[in-house]
Amino acid sequence: MGIPTAPMVTRAFRELVTLNAAKRGMPRVRTVFTPHPVWGKSAEELRAYVDGPDPVTGKPLMQEAVEALTLPLNEEEKKTGEVTVSVGPATFGPDTADNLQEHYLNNGMTDYLPIILPTEEKVEAMLKGTRHKPDEIVGKMAAGAYPPWQYTVRQVAVNAVMAGARPEYFPTILAIASSGWASIFSSTNSFAFAAVINGPIRDKLEMNYGIGALGPLAQPASPWAPLHVQKGFKAEENVVSLFRGLGIVPGQGARGTGVNENPRYEEQFSDLFSVFTGFFGALVIPDPLIAQSLKERGYDTKEKLAEWLHKNTTQTVKDYKNRNFSYLFEYPRALRGEEPYATWYKLPDDAVIPRWPKADHINIVVAGGQTNAYFQAATMSYGTSISIDKWA
Amino acid sequence: MKMDRRKILTMLGISPALLAGSSAEAAKAGTAAVASNAGPGKITTLNPKGMTLNPKGMPPPSHLSPMAPRQGGLEGKTVYLVDTGFHGGDRYLQQVQGWFNRNMPSVKVEFRRKAGSYPEDDPKLWAEIKEKGHAAIMAIGH
Repeated sequence: MGIPTAPMVTRAFRELVTLNAAKRGMPRVRTVFTPHPVWGKSAEELRAYVDGPDPVTGKPLMQEAVEALTLPLNEEEKKTGEVTVSVGPATFGPDTADNLQEHYLNNGMTDYLPIILPTEEKVEAMLKGTRHKPDEIVGKMAAGAYPPWQYTVRQVAVNAVMAGARPEYFPTILAIASSGWASIFSSTNSFAFAAVINGPIRDKLEMNYGIGALGPLAQPASPWAPLHVQKGFKAEENVVSLFRGLGIVPGQGARGTGVNENPRYEEQFSDLFSVFTGFFGALVIPDPLIAQSLKERGYDTKEKLAEWLHKNTTQTVKDYKNRNFSYLFEYPRALRGEEPYATWYKLPDDAVIPRWPKADHINIVVAGGQTNAYFQAATMSYGTSISIDKWA
Repeated sequence: MKMDRRKILTMLGISPALLAGSSAEAAKAGTAAVASNAGPGKITTLNPKGMTLNPKGMPPPSHLSPMAPRQGGLEGKTVYLVDTGFHGGDRYLQQVQGWFNRNMPSVKVEFRRKAGSYPEDDPKLWAEIKEKGHAAIMAIGH
């Protein structure tokens, strides 16, 4: 803006603010911290926060705020230029296997599980899993709102070796890596990600899409068109599709799932969706038994089922407005006049509205072992589909 | 059809190391580097040299931005209080406004809620603050 500005942030975000400010080029930004949380506090409690000290520095909070806006800048705060970030040497060692394991662990290069040590020999073998050149740039990836990092085929290969992958997995790994989607995300929410693998490669890699198949999904024979065909690919192509959201909810406990001659699907899905936020879409994951049952009831395409779910899993405006994500993300859009949110926010509390603006916010993927008529659903949005074959 | 979760997990486990160290490096304002714990003469069982490869990707450089010059005290000036839209941010800033009214009554305080959800930019508001304001406090609730 070009005028003195001070961020005032709750204490819980101290580390995040410091990191982000540095990455964004203003490492000395004058942040004032207030106690955490401000949510759910009375006016008296909030006044005590403001009249009290900054919990990080111990100085009177508002005095610090005024000083942040008025004290002359020091030389560090005036600095311009470029700062390069080192990632260290290209190789580690020589050392013992145990010491190298410790080195990767202690420097944040693992997920705290043992790794396969990425020797030159293992990485070279992994690189044989693709025709792409080792120095080719695969994509960019960021852990949340940070500036993204680039990576080459070779760097992805090093990671693939560390994760225990085999060369035949590598095209699928590269396809996922090319999406730019990180499996970690900096947020106060626990975001979850899912990958759906379609095509003959699921059998070549012996991926499980039967009993116990969840997490990353591969679709079994389903009565409907597979997801990648819905997204414009040919059935024989190998494709990975990515979803992100807040997680998967098991359907076994939903209302209406007791044994009935005529399954009460409307009640089941309405109950399962009752905690879903419209910010993310729905990814419905029926066992093939349920998929077949739905087809027999007239839902001969996924699109038809999605339309039905959209119309029959509604909510009241009162419930909608009381959802956390509605306030955070859709209320601001309503204020800007964006539809349907602007209309939804003007309706009376007892009006009934859908959970999502359109039926295409609902995706359906069939998975399971055909032993139990179960289904699950994820509050997740479809992101992208990527050809695995292009990375072979 | 085999049940092999390991294969599935390995396919998704690629990003943590690609981005490893980014947090630590930011904390040190771009000065960090991962040091090798190498020591010549140690037992090697991995390969003839006992060497392994760095899994990290390539971070972008960060461009330092100077802060806006400070122009002395706030008396008689206009301070904007900007709510970014998180829960409680607006109610918290009401108390900040009350503090200015009690302790620095010559300061004119303008409250605004930033348009859009919290990560979205609001160039219209920034332009207004630049034109009419002398300073701003942005509060992030939670």
